[in-house]
Amino acid sequence: MASVRRKTGESLLIRYLILGTWALFCLMPVIWFLSIGLRSRVEIITPQPIYFPIFSLEAWWMIWEDWPMAKYLLNSVGAIFGSVVIDLILAIPAAYSLSRYNYRFREDIGFYILSTRMMAPAIVAIPIFFLFKNMGLLDSIWALMLIYAAINLSIVTWIIRSYMMDIPKELEDAARTDGASDMRILWEIITPAILPGIITAAVIAMIFAINEFLFTLLIASTPKGYTMSVALANFTGGSDGVIYNAIALVSFLAFVPVFIVVVLTQKHLSRGLTMGAVKG
Amino acid sequence: MTNTPQVNLGPQRQSRFKRRNKKLKAWFPYILVAPAVLYLMMITLYPGIYAVVQSFHYVKFGPWNFIGLENYNELFGDYQFWGALTNTFIMGAISLITQSVIALALAYFAYRDPWVKGWRIIFLVPMLFMPSAVAFIYKLFFLDARVISDLLMRIGLIDGNLAIQSSIWMSRTLLIIADVWQWTPFLFLIFVAGLQGQDEEVEEAARLDGATWPQIFWNISLPLMKPVIAVAMVIRAIDITTMFTSVFIITKGGPAFGTETISYFIYRTGFKFFNFGYASAASVVMLVITIVVAQLVVKRAFMSARD
Repeated sequence: MASVRRKTGESLLIRYLILGTWALFCLMPVIWFLSIGLRSRVEIITPQPIYFPIFSLEAWWMIWEDWPMAKYLLNSVGAIFGSVVIDLILAIPAAYSLSRYNYRFREDIGFYILSTRMMAPAIVAIPIFFLFKNMGLLDSIWALMLIYAAINLSIVTWIIRSYMMDIPKELEDAARTDGASDMRILWEIITPAILPGIITAAVIAMIFAINEFLFTLLIASTPKGYTMSVALANFTGGSDGVIYNAIALVSFLAFVPVFIVVVLTQKHLSRGLTMGAVKG
Repeated sequence: MTNTPQVNLGPQRQSRFKRRNKKLKAWFPYILVAPAVLYLMMITLYPGIYAVVQSFHYVKFGPWNFIGLENYNELFGDYQFWGALTNTFIMGAISLITQSVIALALAYFAYRDPWVKGWRIIFLVPMLFMPSAVAFIYKLFFLDARVISDLLMRIGLIDGNLAIQSSIWMSRTLLIIADVWQWTPFLFLIFVAGLQGQDEEVEEAARLDGATWPQIFWNISLPLMKPVIAVAMVIRAIDITTMFTSVFIITKGGPAFGTETISYFIYRTGFKFFNFGYASAASVVMLVITIVVAQLVVKRAFMSARD
């Protein structure tokens, strides 16, 4: 009995050693980067790294006064919000069709939607660039909205589809015998029942839209259309080089809301990230 | 005159309406899914055709000049293109294997832990930063502020600053570390969910039979987890092969094109050298590879994991 207890004690030590080490590895760069955001520029790139800097809000004033940060923020929020709305409008009926009806090519259509997720953005970058150029949409949040929606549509559809498959068919059948139409069943019975799935899909789509880089870089070629993600890459002051403290602060500005939303929805996150393949 | 046809049409119209209604019912699921499919064709089918057509042309800024297979001819003899393919594969494979092993180990230790929720939130943090921000963290940490060199010097492992930027393997390692740091949480999260979703009674029964936790993990949990692991790794593999942001920000593909990925190659030939026809040819090759891999690997992984 005693030996068993000692054994579990040992494995606990190893467990916490390993988990703790990884936690440290996760958090150290983040804390260090935060310290970069809260120091002045002269303390960033020095012959010897400074580990305990003097606190300074230089970067905070810089991002609002020297850069159109409010504009970038608005672009990000607008494009992301719009794209999620487009996704939900297209994905809910599509997911309903894929999860509730039996018809020819259903599996193929489902897989086609999924497979668009595998396409490297670089493959389609050139045609998409010219498409938006010809439509006169370069440098606008409309183009970003359309492209973010397209990138995330496969994920959103598959997540919602997975949640719809969990709804027992009896629920619909009861409504159908009462004479409700298919459309009414979708909007008044199914959609409210899978609300957690819809929120999960929206959160995941939001994260991927915030992260999107290549298309934004190409579509938004001037500060007019920059989002936070791409604005970062342009925080350079000519001969002064990369302005790291501003970059660090903006990174945290984007991180905090995402972190809060994810902590609130984390129960569903793993299911969302695998597009419904793993039920968390 | 006006009345007679109406009376005659009465039953006819009704049956036609019924027929149309039935037809509509058969088409209904297609109608529901059509808008999404059409929308996705905008970013897949249209660009695909566009890229194929453009790849047969010489396109700089002006008109498209038809040159047949010349772009492909040049592409297959281009060592930078082959280099980009190899780099993508090497960095992707090392990164994917590393993060899968780490994530599985962490998940094994964390899923039975009473504080699993806390670990999950801590481990999630890197994933929630924008990739461009992560790239800058690592660029500053390894290159511009030379923190890693300084730390290694302090503990006496090296004498001078590391010349990371002039070493292909050190540059690759830097990109891999950034990717592992940011995306191990993705796999961890899914693996933990997979382990937690398993039937506890099976584990308990094995434990009563005297099996140790490592034995249970290797012989029971892991085999049951296979579909979950496959799906997670496939998703990660897709994203790793499209690696662009960190290359763009940290290494610009250097030194000596040693870290140039296929995405960066297409970007550079298209939007730096404005050789659009050539870049399109590279896109088409990538597209073909993507479709083949999707059909062979992804389809199987997803179909086996589902439901």
